[in-house]
Formats: sequence, structure tokens, C-alpha cells
Amino acid sequence: MQELVKKAKELIESKEVDLLIGYQSDGEKGAKPLFVKNTQQAEKLIFNQYCLNNLVTYLKRPDVKALKKVAVVAKGCDIRSFVMLLSENQVSRDAIFIIGMTCDHVVSPDGTGENEKCTTCKVHNPHLADVVLGAPVPEKIAKDKPVHYAQLEKLNAMSQEERWAFWQEELSRCIRCYACRQACPLCYCERCIVDFNTPQWIDTRSNPRGNFAWNIVRALHLAGRCINCGECERVCPANIPLMLLNQSLQEEAQEKFAWEAGYDPESQPPLTTFRKEDDEDFIR
Amino acid sequence: MARIGVFVCWCGSNIAETVEVSKVAEVSKSIPGVVYSVDYKYMCSDPGQELVKNAIKEYKLTGVVVASCSPRMHEKTFRKAALEAGLNPYMLEMANIREQCSWVHNNMDEGTQKSIDLVRMMVEKVKRNKPLDDISIPVTKKAMVIGGGVTGIQAALDIASGGIPVVLVEKESSIGGKMSALDETFPTLDCSQCILTPKMVEVAQHPLVQIISYAEIEKLEGFVGNFKATIRKKARYVDVDACTGCGTCWQKCPVKVDSEFEQGLGKRKAIFIPFPQAIPSRPRIDAENCLKLTKDRCGICEKVCPTKAIHYDDKDEFMEVEVGAIVVATGYKIMPVSAFPEYGGGQYPDVVTSLQFERMVCASGPTLGDLKRPSDGKLPETVVFVKCVGSRDPEHYHSYCSKICCMYVAKQTMLYRHKVHHGNCYVFYIDVRSNGKNYEEFVRRAQEQEGAQYIRGRVSSIYKDGDDMVVEGADTLTNSQIKVKCDLVVLATAMEAPDGIKQLAQKLGIGYDQHGFLTEAHPKLRPVETATAGIFLAGCALSPRDIPDSVSEGSAAAAKVLGLLSKDTLDKEGVVAIVNELTCVGCQNCIRVCPYNAIELKDICNRQGELQRQVAHVNPGLCTGCGTCTPSCPSRSIELQGFRDTELYAEINALAEL
Repeated sequence: MQELVKKAKELIESKEVDLLIGYQSDGEKGAKPLFVKNTQQAEKLIFNQYCLNNLVTYLKRPDVKALKKVAVVAKGCDIRSFVMLLSENQVSRDAIFIIGMTCDHVVSPDGTGENEKCTTCKVHNPHLADVVLGAPVPEKIAKDKPVHYAQLEKLNAMSQEERWAFWQEELSRCIRCYACRQACPLCYCERCIVDFNTPQWIDTRSNPRGNFAWNIVRALHLAGRCINCGECERVCPANIPLMLLNQSLQEEAQEKFAWEAGYDPESQPPLTTFRKEDDEDFIR
Repeated sequence: MARIGVFVCWCGSNIAETVEVSKVAEVSKSIPGVVYSVDYKYMCSDPGQELVKNAIKEYKLTGVVVASCSPRMHEKTFRKAALEAGLNPYMLEMANIREQCSWVHNNMDEGTQKSIDLVRMMVEKVKRNKPLDDISIPVTKKAMVIGGGVTGIQAALDIASGGIPVVLVEKESSIGGKMSALDETFPTLDCSQCILTPKMVEVAQHPLVQIISYAEIEKLEGFVGNFKATIRKKARYVDVDACTGCGTCWQKCPVKVDSEFEQGLGKRKAIFIPFPQAIPSRPRIDAENCLKLTKDRCGICEKVCPTKAIHYDDKDEFMEVEVGAIVVATGYKIMPVSAFPEYGGGQYPDVVTSLQFERMVCASGPTLGDLKRPSDGKLPETVVFVKCVGSRDPEHYHSYCSKICCMYVAKQTMLYRHKVHHGNCYVFYIDVRSNGKNYEEFVRRAQEQEGAQYIRGRVSSIYKDGDDMVVEGADTLTNSQIKVKCDLVVLATAMEAPDGIKQLAQKLGIGYDQHGFLTEAHPKLRPVETATAGIFLAGCALSPRDIPDSVSEGSAAAAKVLGLLSKDTLDKEGVVAIVNELTCVGCQNCIRVCPYNAIELKDICNRQGELQRQVAHVNPGLCTGCGTCTPSCPSRSIELQGFRDTELYAEINALAEL
């Protein structure tokens, strides 16, 4: 923690960055975002396994983009979303200072145990950071498959009718607050498809048709891009298991295109590139 | 307020038999916005077009729907008529009630209802259409011909004679192609080299033709009228400008390897020209066999070269050429005997391909025209020719007919008999196909005057018995099995698409069939065009054909090129993509998916010139209106004009509101 505060003060004092985004205590055992503009605020910086927020999501905001240089405290998993923003031309590498934090794991959103996404993490020691803080974490052997929520397996085993019923039930709770969109680091369009009204492709009312259209379009727009940070599901006030949709598409991307998002900024996302050797068995 | 006219065509009975056209016209009147509707027997006829034009003027129409055939057939016709009547052509849409309706249905009620639905959809679309302008694009007045065989040479010559500069790209070190290896040609028995070399010289001397030999196409960018090709000039190790072609190097070179030009029957050196009349008459070094390049020994050619033209450190070079049109004349290859294990599979030297036989009898061949069989140099007293080897055999090899074998086998029997007057020659055949000018007479001459004995039937096996070859097969006319002892067997093996043709087709963005032959835009009406505008085909790249056909096609493709490049600009449709710069976030999805590289990032700066953000920008000259970009945009910020979301949405909704 000392080295984080020290580094932050150094960056702020030297005016190398205009703003530093990090974590502070939420008063209990949790953590919440902290926006550091002076050395005094830097004292409040913390980092622990309760630092769930993906702070990279703030980098897509116009007011943050307008700043000359911004530092962000990021775990390896968060940096994966930064890599996606880079490859999609949304941030300039020079405008961001990444303070990478080594991380063994974070807690699950309910704070009870290890977060499932950490079991397949390949970046306990962050890639692509400007500085890495924290003791190195021994690399663990990640499981072959991407995180497979037990529920996803259960869902895949269901019949089509059962699955339809499951999603009808889950999505009926959606109140169309778009918290999922706001929290997602990769939902950066200035005019979202749902706000497009000439013509209105997606019904904005909270009804089954609109809810299905919105949630499916949101998930499809993340196909081959989602880096599994889980922020959408964590912020959902209706507790809709959004990561099930994301997970399912992530698996497709890995199986069909051997693609995992967010590791290499030079590599091209599978859904906007053509390779002759790509599996085409989905064309029937 | 929209004022739409609906014109329903009978297409004779093509549509009227399955669709109640008068009812379609009648019901159309009730669609909001439609002020006029009519049905007519042939809307594409002159009176039909007049009907459209007059109605546009008389009823002050703001949009037109023609319910007839596919827009591929007559959209141009009607849009031109609309323009003549003063209506923007893009305010006319076609409802396809023929291919999509009458031709695929046989129930009158259903066909009529579907036609009404299709008309209603297009009325709703055309109400929201916006007038578009055609785009004028400049044309590069230069052409490229790929392949320097007789077809490519002819195409290059004809284009250049029309005053258009040509770049002729040949993958071997000399132009001339397969024809340069032939002895005499059917049906006139004139010497192949004697008629080809004047053309080779003519093309080489033509001031508007630039020959780039030993080179291949690396990359092609751009579009009709404005292609940019990257050509890989393979390392030749000889400076063609310094070299005078004196021949000292290949005389002194100590390495002897099988000559490709001689079909493996003769030898060449490691530094060589393929044949004496090669153009350009500049050698190249075969890097796989050269002692200097493989083992860093020898180096004789460099020492003896009087002009210091040998460079062992030569590398592949790339050159870019900008051309307006391209002719692909990449030719063919023939199957080797090794592909046929049942016929000896290459283990018997005295089983040869017809191309090898050409070299064996050719006066410029490895034996200088003395017919000697490869195994022991003996004069073959009996020769068996086997036709359709690998052709017309869908179970084992190719389903297609190689077309030229019937004729050249007849010719080869004559060439043989002219060399060996007392010799016997037998031809195993399935059919004799001789449909060309003077072809049938030529085959009859071989059979009746030159003593070729034709046996109708397939050969089952070929084997060796002592010094002799034995050919076993069926004679299906006498219904008997026969065995022929002979000295030499000539297999008329199938013509195939050349190696690397699929990769080339992919680079050029043109189609090929299951055999690897390139596909024409229409087999009858557009035989030398491809589906990609500005790229044309000629010769055996399309399918097996003989010299007259290939040369004709070379000229045909040249005529197409000259027609295209005779104008200073090309008009293209205004159906191109457009970006909403206010909502675009510059994610580059459209840029990545665009097959034509027509989209690039554009900087949006403030008044101080500081970069604010980047958005996508479509180059309308490059955009072909394919629409691939539009679904890739997450925020619907790129649209295809003429197919905007509002237009398509209205079209779909019109169908849903039943």
C-alpha cells in the first residue's frame, strides 16, 4: 500500500498526470473508486481483494478523455479491457499511465469467497502496465476451459423451451436502467443503438420484447470482446445473470476462433477479421 | 407528399400466368401515397417505358415502383426511363414478382397476394428513398495482362495496338507459354514456333508493352479503372539490363539438370534460358541447383560474364503498377504420367505424356527431331496413343473433357507417321470430338490417309514385357479384349488448372470452379468477364481450349479492356456507404471488414487544429456499395445510401402489417 501511495504522490506532484483513478475504502470492508487530484487525496488509496471495480471503464468518459494524461490503478483483468480499448482506437496509449497491481484473486461480488473469474486468470501479474506494484504472484496453471459458471453448464443442458422460460423469467426483471452499459468498459458508443430512433430498432420500454432485444444486442456487441470482468452483472440492480450470456459468447469465440480478448493490442478481433483457416462449420 | 406510381408487368405469360396482374395494379391504388397504377404486357418494351415516362410527367410522380423481373435484368432500363422523364433514377424501385414470385409459385391466389405484398414493401421503401447522384471516377489508362502464353500475348498486342500501355506479367523467365514447346499444330500442321515467335517478337518490340518476366502477382488493391498491383519480381541473379544474352554463362555452367521446357527429356544448366528463342533472352539462375547458391562453390558464370551481370546476392523485388483493367490468361498444366499408377505411374520411361511426345518429335527438341524412345533410344516401330487419360472420368479424375486431345492425338499420329513411314500407330479413344473448322477433315485424314488405327475403348493396364510395352484394353466395337505390343505409349493426359491459381484468384478477388478453372461472369453472354468489374479472362484459365479459341479470347478480352479504358472517367452508382460523423466513435469495425479498403480514419479537429477525435470516412470512389460495413457498426453510424435503415425498416414493416 505504501508504494502505491508513494507512486501516486509522485505522479501527481510531478504533474505527470492530471488525474489518478484508484480505490478507497467504502467505510466497511469493501472498496469504491477514488479520484485523486492532489497528494492529500492520495493518502486514501488502498488496494486489496475487495477492489472489484474495473476502473478502466472511466477512461471511456469524455471528461476523462479530455484530460492530457490519466493514471489508473488496474488489475491484470482490468488491463485486458484496456487492451481492447487500445485495439479499438478508443484510448491513446500515451495518454494513460497504468499502475498495474499484482493480484492473487478478488472476492466474489457478494464478498463471500474467491471470485470465480480468478480461477482461470492468466494475468495475476499484470501485462502492459507502466509500473507493476505488489509482490509477484506465482503463476498458477489456469484451467483449460474459460470460467464455466456451473449455471452455464446447467443452462446448456436444458431444452430450448426450458432455456427460453429461464430467460423470460430472468429478463422480465430488467428495468432498463442501462447500468450494465454504463459499467462496461467496452460499451463506449456516444449514441447507443438503443438510443437510435430513426428507426427505433429496440423498444425502449421495459417489456419482454424490448428487454430481450436490449440484453441480447448488448451481449452480441460484446461477442469476441468481453474480457470477463463481470462488472455488468455486479452492478445490475435486478440481479440478472448477464455473465451467462457473455460467457456463452466467449466460449464460442475461443472454440471457433481460438480467440481470447484483451491480451495482445496488435491482434485483431475475430468478428471483424477474415482468416481462411477459420472454422466455418456454422455456415449450413 | 409522396406521389407514387406502380407499374405491374405481365412479362407475357411469365408473370400473368401465376399472378393476377390487374388485381395487383388495382390493390396497389389503395396503398397510401400511390396515385397511379397500371398493368401492361411488356413493361420493358418501348411502349411500356413510355407508359412509365408519361405517368411520371402527367401525375408528377415522386417515386416509381415497377413490379416485374429481377432488378438485375431491367433496373437500369427503368431507371434510365425515369431519368429521361425528369425523375431521379434512385427514386425508382423494382418489386421482383417474376423470379421471386410467379416462377416459384403455381397457385394464382398465393402468387397474387405475394405480389401485392412485394409491391407494398417497395412502395413504403421508395417513399423514404432519397435522390442520389452517380459518382464519376477517373480511369488509369493502362492495362495488365497476367500470363505470357499465346493468349496473353494476343491480348497484350491488341490492347497495345489500341494505344493503351500494357504490363505483361509472366511467371516463367520467358514468354511463350505451352505453345512454344509444341511441334506442329492442328489442323494445318504449321510449325508452332514458326507462328508463335513472330508474335513474341512483336509483343517484345511493341513500344507500349512492358514485359515483366519471372514475376508473380503479390497483391492487388483498388477497383475497376483504378487497380494497384504489387508484382513480385523473383530473384533472377542476373541483371537483365546489363546482360546481353551472349550465352557464355550457360555454356560454361557445369551443372546439368532436367529441363522443364523439354518435359524432363533433355538437360539444361543451372543458369539457363528455357529455349533458344526465349524472350527476354536473358538467363536466370536456378537457385536450387546452382553450386554457388547452394554450396558457395563454383562461381564460374560470374567470372566468365563479360558484362558483370551476375549477382548472387539478388533478392526478390517488388514493383507497383497502377492499371485500369486486368486480363488473366494464366493457362493450364497437364497431368504427369505419375498420376496414373494403372498406366505405369511413371515407372516406365517409355510411357510419356503427349507434351513429352511433342518434344520427342520436335526439330528443336532434345533429339533434334530424331524420334527415339526414352529408355534405350530405339526408334519406336509401334506407338499406342491413349486418349481421355484423366479426362471424362468423374469416378477417378476429372469429369470434364480436355477438349484438345482428340485433335492433337490425330496430329501426333501424323507426325509419327511422317517420321516413321512403316510404323504402326494405334489410338484408344472413347469418342472423336472434332468440331472445329477443318477439324473433322483433319481426323479423317489421319485415319484414312496416314494409317492411324483407331480402337474404340478404354485401356485397362499398361505394363512392360521384356523390351516391349504392352497395352491391354477393350475394343467396344468388336466387343473384345485386346493386347497391343508396342515400343512407346503416349498418354493424352488431362489439362488441369495450373498450380497456385486459387491463390491468385483470391488475391484478385475473382471466382474459380471445383476444378480450379476461373469462372466467367456469364457462361454465354459474358464469357470473358469476371464478376469483378475490370478483370477479364481468356484462354485455358477458364477451361481447356485450343489455340484458335484461346487467341480469339485474348482478342475478346482486349476488346473489353479497350472499351473500358476508352473513356476518361467511369460512372458508378451512387449506392455507397456514408458515415454519420456525429455519432461515429471510430472503433474501426467497418474499416476492418471493408473488403475494398474503402474506409479510413479521419481526424476531427477543433478550430485550433487540435485533434478531438477520429471517425470513419468512406472513399466513395472505392466503395462498391456491398454493405458489409453497415451491420458491423455497433451504433448504426454507417449506412448504405439507397439502403438506409429507415428505408429497409419501412419495407419490413410493410410486410409485417398484415
